[in-house]
Amino acid sequence: MLEVKKVSKLYTNRRGVEEIDFSMNRGEIVGFLGPNGAGKTTTMRMITGYLNPTRGSILIDGVSMADQPKQVRRKIGYLPETPPLYLDMRVRDYLKFVADLRDIPIRGQKKRLGEVMDMLGLIGREGQVIRGLSKGYKQRLGLAQAILHEPDLLVLDEPTSGLDPKQIIEIRKLIRELGEKHTVLLSTHILPEVNSICNRVLIIHQGKIVSDGKPDELAGALADRFEVNLEVRGPKDAVREALASIPKVADVSIVQAEESAEAAAAGVPNMPGAIESDIDEQAVSIADPDDAPSHDGKALTVSPTNKVEGASILRVKVTSADQTDVREELFYRLAAIGAPILEMQKVSLSLEDVFLRLTTDEAAEESVTAEDLQEAPILPKATEPTNPEKGEDDRA
Amino acid sequence: MRKTLAICRKELQMYFFSPTAYVAFAFYFLVSGFFFSMDFLGNQTVDIRPLFSNFMVVYLFVIPLLTMRLISDELRQGTDELLLTSPASVTEIVVGKYLAAVLLQFILVAGALVYPLILSRFGSLDLPVMWLSYLSLFLLGAAMMAVGLFASTLSSHQMVAGIAGFAMLLVLWMIQWLSGSMLPAGADWLELFSISARTVNLQSGLLDWTDIVFYASFIFVFVVLSVQSLERKRWR
Repeated sequence: MLEVKKVSKLYTNRRGVEEIDFSMNRGEIVGFLGPNGAGKTTTMRMITGYLNPTRGSILIDGVSMADQPKQVRRKIGYLPETPPLYLDMRVRDYLKFVADLRDIPIRGQKKRLGEVMDMLGLIGREGQVIRGLSKGYKQRLGLAQAILHEPDLLVLDEPTSGLDPKQIIEIRKLIRELGEKHTVLLSTHILPEVNSICNRVLIIHQGKIVSDGKPDELAGALADRFEVNLEVRGPKDAVREALASIPKVADVSIVQAEESAEAAAAGVPNMPGAIESDIDEQAVSIADPDDAPSHDGKALTVSPTNKVEGASILRVKVTSADQTDVREELFYRLAAIGAPILEMQKVSLSLEDVFLRLTTDEAAEESVTAEDLQEAPILPKATEPTNPEKGEDDRA
Repeated sequence: MRKTLAICRKELQMYFFSPTAYVAFAFYFLVSGFFFSMDFLGNQTVDIRPLFSNFMVVYLFVIPLLTMRLISDELRQGTDELLLTSPASVTEIVVGKYLAAVLLQFILVAGALVYPLILSRFGSLDLPVMWLSYLSLFLLGAAMMAVGLFASTLSSHQMVAGIAGFAMLLVLWMIQWLSGSMLPAGADWLELFSISARTVNLQSGLLDWTDIVFYASFIFVFVVLSVQSLERKRWR
């Protein structure tokens, strides 16, 4: 339904986007991923008709934005990075204004306004002045504005940026719901978001699309080994020996877990197990740059009285030489030496890794072939969003 | 048309939800009221005409204040992304905004009718001259609003837009003085473009259609300029 054909936006003094070329089918939720300054917003602005492309064309249902701007814009709902709200207006007046602007027939307006406000949980705030709304509610109102005219295509520019984890979960849930009826293109530089919402990912880097595919396919294509994270109780050396003797294991690294008493004293709750809370975990990880190790480490709580001499809780990372599954073997070996496995998790190459690989390789390549020195300062920028915390800090 | 009206209504709401309009109105009525009392108490004559030149000077200050936020505020708050991605065309957006400004100008002029009302208690006014003078005020103000609207498309900073608007109006105003003193040869020719000199006929009771056409085309030019200036932003 959306076709972006070799679209370029050229600026005189900075990088725009070059030859962006992709299409989206009805019902897809596409994540548009890229470091800061990669051209996500520029591309979205061109799709929504806020900016005109220097070259190339954008078609929606086969109709070009350049030829029929009004007709095409009617099919798009757009939430820019900062929700376009009139701070001095009241919620209802604002939505009424948007409804008029978007040609929603007066007869159905009231009903539609009610539906949308109900859907986004804005009921009860109709009379409130927008300036007084919290950031989360402003974002909801921004979304309300975007879906008011029931657009076929919904374009959301960093819909969860600057929200707290609870609000992020709510907005993501909403987007997933919206994805059932609309085609959604959303940009983000938060990777877990893509995993949890999107069924397709486009990675854009330095103004070009470097990758396009399903989140897990992307990971699979780039994975070249098999990794397992274990939590084992047992003596360190014995465990190392037992594991290293498995033929296909290439590398074993063992980290002694934190003193369990400390963890308990810190009041860290046990690892959430339910699938429901999976989302929670991802939301939290945004604020936490090196989520995997620290998170898991903290989640370790054992009663101190349970300690056996020489045995302690170990965090073990086992890497196999090729892609063979060594999990069964691990189980038998550790059982044989009497070291119980408390937890075992297969590590698939995360989107983060894919993203890093795609964006930093490029950057490294370019630094070699950089024709002019002006390109050089962009380098650190390209690696920046790999540290999610930093990205968040910049915003704050 | 519906979109134009929606934008016009929204602009009027914005004017009266924020203190801008109130401050500008207060300033306008304070200053014009002061001139009126000085004039009336000083001369003790029932004549409204001396007041108009004062009103016009007050417009020079009030109108940039009223127009400066029209578009620059959208650019600053990022709400232009809403307007420019909606099915409304830039022309519809700009005309809607201009319409709101003109309505405001109408309120300013209508509000100033309180002075002849007071005067009429003390004697009879030359009514045709008075109505034509008020028409000239309205036309002049509407033309100035168009200039202010255009200035507002130039910057996302309200103050910059306000000062640019004031500067443009001042130049258009000063043409009259310039033509009188510095360029006597081109005086006749230059004076045609002075927005203030065009009120002279109307205020002396002469309804000259060329003046009306001048204002109408002046407004048209600046509205078109505003549309172009805003449309250009898509090509940034």
